[in-house]
Amino acid sequence: MAAVGEQISFATQFGRNIFRNGFEWNEFLHQCYVVGVRSISLVAISGFIIGFVLTLQTQPTMKQFGAESFVPGMVAISIVREIGPMIIALICTGKIASSIGAELGSMKVTEQIDAMEVSSANPIQYLVVTRILACTLMVPLLTVMADALAFVGGWLGVNTQGHVSATLFFRKAFAALEFSDMIPAVVKTFFFGFAIGFVGCYKGYHASRGTESVGLAANSAVVTASLWIILLDAVAVQITNLLYY
Amino acid sequence: MEQAQINQVEQEPETDKEQIPEDGVVIRIEHLKKSFGENQVLKDINLELHKGENIVVLGRSGQGKSVTIQCIAGLLEPDEGKLEVLGKEISTLNEDELKELRTKIGFLFQSGALYDSMTVRENLEFPLTRVLQIKDKEELTKRVEDALDSVGLKDAIDKYPSDLSGGMRKRVGLARTLILRPQIMLYDEPTTGLDPITAREISELIVTLQEKYETSAIIITHDMPCARITADRIVVMNDGEYIATGTYDELAKSPDELINNFFK
Ligand SMILES: Nc1ncnc2c1ncn2[C@@H]1O[C@H](COP(=O)(O)OP(=O)(O)O)[C@@H](O)[C@H]1O
Ligand SMILES: [Mg+2]
Repeated sequence: MAAVGEQISFATQFGRNIFRNGFEWNEFLHQCYVVGVRSISLVAISGFIIGFVLTLQTQPTMKQFGAESFVPGMVAISIVREIGPMIIALICTGKIASSIGAELGSMKVTEQIDAMEVSSANPIQYLVVTRILACTLMVPLLTVMADALAFVGGWLGVNTQGHVSATLFFRKAFAALEFSDMIPAVVKTFFFGFAIGFVGCYKGYHASRGTESVGLAANSAVVTASLWIILLDAVAVQITNLLYY
Repeated sequence: MEQAQINQVEQEPETDKEQIPEDGVVIRIEHLKKSFGENQVLKDINLELHKGENIVVLGRSGQGKSVTIQCIAGLLEPDEGKLEVLGKEISTLNEDELKELRTKIGFLFQSGALYDSMTVRENLEFPLTRVLQIKDKEELTKRVEDALDSVGLKDAIDKYPSDLSGGMRKRVGLARTLILRPQIMLYDEPTTGLDPITAREISELIVTLQEKYETSAIIITHDMPCARITADRIVVMNDGEYIATGTYDELAKSPDELINNFFK
């Protein structure tokens, strides 16, 4: 229960310090680079494979029902709505939340955060605001990129069973997607990104004394952020259903 | 506004004086208590630090020496007691007032606490750009070079903390702290982990800078040569209380075994 209070107060501090006496642009851009650019290859490969595998697995079943021509559409919908955002968020949790947790945790343990605080500099603004916002922005972008590569993977997957032209595949895929699929799917990735940044920062910032707590901070950042993402996803599904159906 | 104030301080250091209470006491601690859960760390701390004075706090590990100065810097909240810094009771300050006060307090952490991801130059620029809001490149470079010069480390300006030795890290930490021209310095074991020669150099540096910048200081240590070089007055801490106070020579003659042990 104490932890909930602490998280709320941490969130309030985050909110109050976003634009307080300026904004740390340089650090923010650097974090976007660290969070976004350095995750590109991992996310790209994952996205591609997800699309490829998903197609390979659905194709035989669809074939039995003579519904092969629906494969592109089905793959597109499942990836954009659910599998893309979810898996990419979980992969980012493993990569980003853990590294933020470890980085801030070690800064806490080696008194660097205290040093910032006693010099009257603003560690929340410099360290926390920049990282949370970078995650909130980059995770959606990474997800969109992964979705696109999953389509490519899907198209290649279809082609293992016979020739389907790229134009045909993508036309079918996009025809199946509706705007109402895209919006909630993209919106929730912002929340996933926020959760990853917030939990990573919170765990690192509140690491206790002693070097072993750095590992603990990284570890519990991953566990907690994953849980958050699954919960947020469940909430997102409920809200989407209420809004559209 | 802030910048104007700082420039003024630089031109005439005398203006600092208005901050200092009339009786010349820059830190006043009375009946300070602090516990972590069941663990009662500070039981009854009383201390007065006068302007220009260097107090050394001696005590074995885990006695709560660091906790005391963390309370002074507002990093920890005391449970009970009076804690006045430059005439202001810490617990009554709001966030902005605490920030303002902290610019007048320098804290040298046990590890040096340099920012690993930044070069020495960036480490020193950090408080200048964030706290004093100095944006001018030349001004920044000048101040950084001056500060490094005063700790004898001008060559290290573009190195990363991981490339520095323990003694050099302490020096850079010291430069980073002094760059804001604090009136009060808090040193947490400045010489621990250093070889005896480097330790003596750091102790002497503390005294030199003390005179140059006219600071008052609390120095935590269990390094006796350091205590002898830096202390105007020594207090001995045991079991959450200060059990003795006096000059180095006075305490060295003390019949009390607990105190005497440090001087052997
Ligand atoms: N932030 C903290 N949370 C919990 N316990 C602490 C904290 N800081 C210090 N302590 C405890 O207070 C006691 C004194 O610590 P400290 O002041 O670091 O000792 P030292 O005199 O060696 O500097 C130790 O028992 C330590 O475990
Ligand atoms: Mg200590």
